[in-house]
Amino acid sequence: MPVIAAKRTLRSHPSSPPRKSPRRCTAATPNSTPTMNRFGADENRADPEAVKPKWNPKDGEQLKRVKLALHLSTAPSSVVCREEEQNVVLEFCKGCVEHQKAGSLYICGCPGTGKSLSMEKVKDKLLNWAKEAGLPQPDVLSVNCTTFTNTSDIFTKILGLNQTQGKKVSATPLQQLQNMYSQKSSNKNMTLIVADELDYLITKDRGVLHDLFMLTTFPFSRCILIGVANAIDLADRFLPRLTSLNCKPIVVNFRAYSKDQILKILEERLNELPYTVFQQQAMELCARKVAAASGDMRNALCICGRAIEMLEAEIRESACNLNTSLEEISSSRQNLATAPDFMKKREFETVRTDHMARALSKTYRSPVVDTIQSLPHHQQIVLCSSMKHFRGAKKDTILGELYKSYVGVCKSCIIPPAGILEFSNMCRVLNDQGLIKLGQSREDKLRRVSPKVDEGDITFALQGVRFFHNCL
Amino acid sequence: MEQENHKIKAVSLLRSRICDPKFIFISESPESNYSKLKFMISSSVTEACNNSILLLGPRGSGKNAVLELVIQDLLQEYPDSVSVIRLNGLLHSDDISAFKEIARQLCMEHQLLFSKAASFDDNSQFMVAILKECGLAHKTVIFVLDEFHLFAQGKQRLLYSLLDAMQSITSQAVVLGISCRLDADQLLEKRVRSRFSHRKLLFLPPSIEDSQKLLMHILTLPIDSSFPHAYAVEFNRKVQNIIEDRRFKETLNKYLNVDSSVKHLLRFLFCAVSHMDLQTGFLSRENFEIAFTSIQRQPKLECLRNCSILELQILVCMKRLEVKEQSLCNFNSVMKEYISTLTSERYARHVCLRAFEHLIHRELICFTDNRGQSLSVEFRPVKLLISSAELHQGLRANTSCPPKLLKLMDREG
Repeated sequence: MPVIAAKRTLRSHPSSPPRKSPRRCTAATPNSTPTMNRFGADENRADPEAVKPKWNPKDGEQLKRVKLALHLSTAPSSVVCREEEQNVVLEFCKGCVEHQKAGSLYICGCPGTGKSLSMEKVKDKLLNWAKEAGLPQPDVLSVNCTTFTNTSDIFTKILGLNQTQGKKVSATPLQQLQNMYSQKSSNKNMTLIVADELDYLITKDRGVLHDLFMLTTFPFSRCILIGVANAIDLADRFLPRLTSLNCKPIVVNFRAYSKDQILKILEERLNELPYTVFQQQAMELCARKVAAASGDMRNALCICGRAIEMLEAEIRESACNLNTSLEEISSSRQNLATAPDFMKKREFETVRTDHMARALSKTYRSPVVDTIQSLPHHQQIVLCSSMKHFRGAKKDTILGELYKSYVGVCKSCIIPPAGILEFSNMCRVLNDQGLIKLGQSREDKLRRVSPKVDEGDITFALQGVRFFHNCL
Repeated sequence: MEQENHKIKAVSLLRSRICDPKFIFISESPESNYSKLKFMISSSVTEACNNSILLLGPRGSGKNAVLELVIQDLLQEYPDSVSVIRLNGLLHSDDISAFKEIARQLCMEHQLLFSKAASFDDNSQFMVAILKECGLAHKTVIFVLDEFHLFAQGKQRLLYSLLDAMQSITSQAVVLGISCRLDADQLLEKRVRSRFSHRKLLFLPPSIEDSQKLLMHILTLPIDSSFPHAYAVEFNRKVQNIIEDRRFKETLNKYLNVDSSVKHLLRFLFCAVSHMDLQTGFLSRENFEIAFTSIQRQPKLECLRNCSILELQILVCMKRLEVKEQSLCNFNSVMKEYISTLTSERYARHVCLRAFEHLIHRELICFTDNRGQSLSVEFRPVKLLISSAELHQGLRANTSCPPKLLKLMDREG
């Protein structure tokens, strides 16, 4: 079937060359009509989804919808590629609600893998399920631990959910919670606590985190605790006593997205649009690069947004060229027929592989090489002498020694060296940009210098300059 | 009288141009950083999407100047849709004062009453609520974080809160970080880096040709009615001749080879224009040479020029000891060398000690131990802080230096 489709595509190519004379255009029309009808009919029969037209990047409304579909803040209706993880968490919460039993769960994964988004979906599903099953709906508390000035503020927030207790005790919120969970209570509602960015609660004695998870072990505790963080071994490293007390939380790992998952998520977001925006190869390139680098879905969405901007910039540039050629056309009317064909060619473009490649290089490329190439001449000599100085076993040196090396390089190239004050200023500029590391000292010449840029980067940046052929 | 008037006006015009970033950085070329930045922020304002951008470049390359120009243009184009919040990493490096400053600027921007007693939680929740309200009203809040790498210390709560609020669909904000560190995005914590879109705008120093074009752009007078026509034409012709002069090009290249940032070049031009001869009313190459000489200072050489003969002798003795592989010495070993080297016209020991202390105060030599005042000055180890070349130049520049001392230094070198 794809072979036949390819043949039809190849056959339709000769019918689309630019038409220069009106007579040819009139003559060609009856021939192309049956071909297009046959082609369209076959396409309709074979694959209805493939009939989507290409989008018009010049249409502001379409552009807005595409960018909105790819934006981070647009949450999809269903979280793709995380169904298994959501089901594990949902079944755990259902069990706790059904049996009126407390429990704790720990969700880990790299940033950008959909942990918080999945938790939102699980929350909604749990509330809907409890309503349908006729069980009392649990109270839900979502906290982001970065917003706490004091780590023990989380207990104040948990206590605030159970405001029905009117007792004004002088005990701390943690003690009040422990007292409440140690005796029977008339309130039968479960409490779902989702603590995002859990590692912000880590203190030196780890007391807050330990007490938080210990709340689920009290005999009349009614809380379901879900902690979300990035470290896989947070429970093992910071809560080792929970294992011996038999209340270690269940760990759910959100692995980084693979290439196929990234591609599926991107397609799912773009499928809601009535037109085709990206070439398939461009999306594949983006998915492969992001999966190889970090598996971060935020990165993939940002890169697709930038690729669209590359197409936008290209269209704006061609519009300028079109204006210029239109001015030329108005002077000589013989080429007037060329303009509509030129405009037709430029319209309805999709994001191609080269747009995506440029967007990827802008995101992942380090600005170090560009900066080294545009440094002033003497600063390049300073970097070169520091590289030569650190080629041996030395890890760092002092500024006076580096200055001697710099003077040596200048003498070998018959260039008057800068003074020690200018040299010190240049080293400070390089330290500000992060190319070398300059320590602190009371006296300037005694400051410690160490390299921060790879030797290969310096060699690559300076190899084009003829001056440095002997030095490198 | 009128002659003096338009000459003074010419100097004032050139000086005001040097101090005006609008004259230097606005360029309608789509490749310039001004156009790129304006397009990015305008897209965020018109299309109601959130964005985060990093402006990276060495100090003096015009990051803040270009950003201020772009913000001024946006405030003119969208007066009701844009509000700007400015933070500086040197002033608001801890999260509590940063959130307080954000709340204060938001209150001032929206005519609300600012409460100094508000806590960290109140301020952060207030910021999130205001961002939501601005999003519903289709208003974009632009956060300018100057010295961005200083916000990346500690737990980075401010960055996390800002970038996390930008993930929600209701808020409408642009976060702009300005930093001289090329690895500013590597300093971010991993969850902040994930939320930061990796948009970087690199501000590189201009090339030699661009610097010369900028020079021409700044130093030529407009040929219109504000200046006498003959004077303006003659002035521009002389400026053209100066810029095309070979010796001027050598001086400019020597100056820009050390630091080619825009601010460094403007400092050079300001010095030259300030020395313009008000009698003739024209710039000359000597103005630029004087500016180059006054900027290329060597403070240790100037310090040496003012030393007394005894102090110079002590420095030469210390240099001789250094050449003998004695990197550390104290006053006693210097005195021993002084006695053995200078066989006639020696000063008393207490006079030498006073000269020695003067050298320490001038910081030409320094103590190498950090233990303070436990030992007497005579027994504490000291280190020479000038090189042989500097001492050599200093001796030759000193008018009262005896020739025997110079010969002694030549013999050692």
